[in-house]
Amino acid sequence: MSSTAEAAAAIRGHIRPPAREPEGLVHEWVRTWAFAHRNLIMARRNVFFLFELTFWPGVAMLSHGLLTRFLELTPQMTAFILAGTVALSTVQVCQLDVAYAVLFDIWSKSMKHQFLAPVSIRHLAVGAWLVGVGRGLVVFALMAAIGSSAFGFDFLGAGPASLAVFLAGCFLSSLIIGLFVCALVILFGTRAESSAWAAVNFLVMLAGIYYPVSVLPGWAQTASAFIPLTYFLDAFRAGYGFEPAFAHPALFGFALSGLYLALAHWALAAAITRSRRTGLLLKLSE
Amino acid sequence: MAAPHSLASSDLAVDARDLTKTFRSGWLRPRRTEALRGASLQVPRGAIFGLLGPNGAGKTTLLSILATLLIPDGGSARVLGYDVVREAREVRRRLNMASGNASFVWSLRPPEVLAFYGRLYGLHGRALRQRVEELIELCELGPHRTTEYNELSTGLKQRLAFAKALLNRPEVLFLDEPTLGLDPDVSIRIRAQIASLRRDQGTTIILTTHYMREAEELCDEIAFIKGGRILARGAADALKRQIRIGEVVSLRLDPAEPAGLAELSGVLAVRRRADAVEVTVDTVEKRLPELLRWLHGQSVEVRDCRVRESDLEEVFVELNR
Repeated sequence: MSSTAEAAAAIRGHIRPPAREPEGLVHEWVRTWAFAHRNLIMARRNVFFLFELTFWPGVAMLSHGLLTRFLELTPQMTAFILAGTVALSTVQVCQLDVAYAVLFDIWSKSMKHQFLAPVSIRHLAVGAWLVGVGRGLVVFALMAAIGSSAFGFDFLGAGPASLAVFLAGCFLSSLIIGLFVCALVILFGTRAESSAWAAVNFLVMLAGIYYPVSVLPGWAQTASAFIPLTYFLDAFRAGYGFEPAFAHPALFGFALSGLYLALAHWALAAAITRSRRTGLLLKLSE
Repeated sequence: MAAPHSLASSDLAVDARDLTKTFRSGWLRPRRTEALRGASLQVPRGAIFGLLGPNGAGKTTLLSILATLLIPDGGSARVLGYDVVREAREVRRRLNMASGNASFVWSLRPPEVLAFYGRLYGLHGRALRQRVEELIELCELGPHRTTEYNELSTGLKQRLAFAKALLNRPEVLFLDEPTLGLDPDVSIRIRAQIASLRRDQGTTIILTTHYMREAEELCDEIAFIKGGRILARGAADALKRQIRIGEVVSLRLDPAEPAGLAELSGVLAVRRRADAVEVTVDTVEKRLPELLRWLHGQSVEVRDCRVRESDLEEVFVELNR
């Protein structure tokens, strides 16, 4: 070929670029499903995924249930404790799936391929979250089965609507936590993984996981008011006859979740932009 | 360095101007690495363009900016008319990239890897299944469709990376060291596929490579990048002339390497290669008769004499000085 211009002009002359069809809701769903499907394959193929789904939630429910027996707690107090156990396990499993949307690519050093494609945060977040919700429901079902058969705990005791609100709150909290974990990992690399999850446990502790927030020191009580899970636990426990610490806790929980969801989305978007600027996005692929 | 051809902007697949990029690292001892220092590059649509340079020259940084994976500190870049920063999504729909050291999620099988990325490009249903099968066949991955990614050989991984890069029928394709570490037969097949992509689909291809022969064989035009700047660009032949590194006279002599050869007028370099001496001269038409006369005068027997143009390897070495 004598020159680029001639060669390229000849090519341009007889070949037209492929037409790009306008994109709609189907494409939105397809991109979202890509992440959900990948998480499903990974969950199916790795025996340790089954382990985290059954072993730790099972151990948590059994050990806490036995503790309530040892302390001879009333059925009402047992419900208080076990509601916290369910919340923690459900949130942990579900948020992990959201984080996997980014972690799989970081662990396999394939990060750049994902962000080379025309995808947005909503695709990876919602896709992975859907699988997280599915796995969270499996965890809940397992814990409900152990709780009711071994310790007589009725998870429907607060009513189906209250349970639905509680689970929705747990899953929303998981989405928020998962997005923040993704943002931290993209911002600081894999060394941020453990500290991100340490922060998750700290937040859950502040949310009054096995105790009312009133037993926390003053500063911690103030902090707990900024955590949506505090309100969802409060609303669910109210269904078992405990005096709610907040007025309209479910409403507050959802409002706060909406706010944090927007913030988490922004944080992840900012982290991705920063990693494109610093080159970390490429380093995570090397 | 601007394109030697005056092309309308609509005829350019890539139009990058004065790109700069500095990486900063370290907290206690901050370090700055200037990866690009005003790199400009124009590539016409439908071209196969080679980007050559030593390690750390800025090749991958330049490609990564064009592929929207990096945000430049300064300058501007457009791909197919779209700004790589402000219209990144439009750029991403139309381009793809494969690199020699690509990696994918360890537990996925080749069709699953392709289906995952295919969906990210919006492919679904029958179109997705069809495209995945086409690419499995094109890249000869059929016998390995049930093998998990981390069980694939390096060559197969690279073929999978190449297949992934074709999923969205990209109008612009970036190939970063596409044949790095591959067996020669696999490299030949990949090169044939690169050439057919341009021929059959009009894909603009920009590739970085360390293999000069590969660049000479595939590329219409080549740019040399070093220290974050484009030092020279042009067709391989034109580059050799432009840089004036002369032509090579390969001689088999007896005695093998007579003393004083390097001091002759017009001789740029003398190198021993196997049983021959390679004499690089400025103008072969003028210097060859002088050289032969001198050898005759020195009673040196000339057993074989061949003339060839310098290859890109030598251009590369020259530019690296």
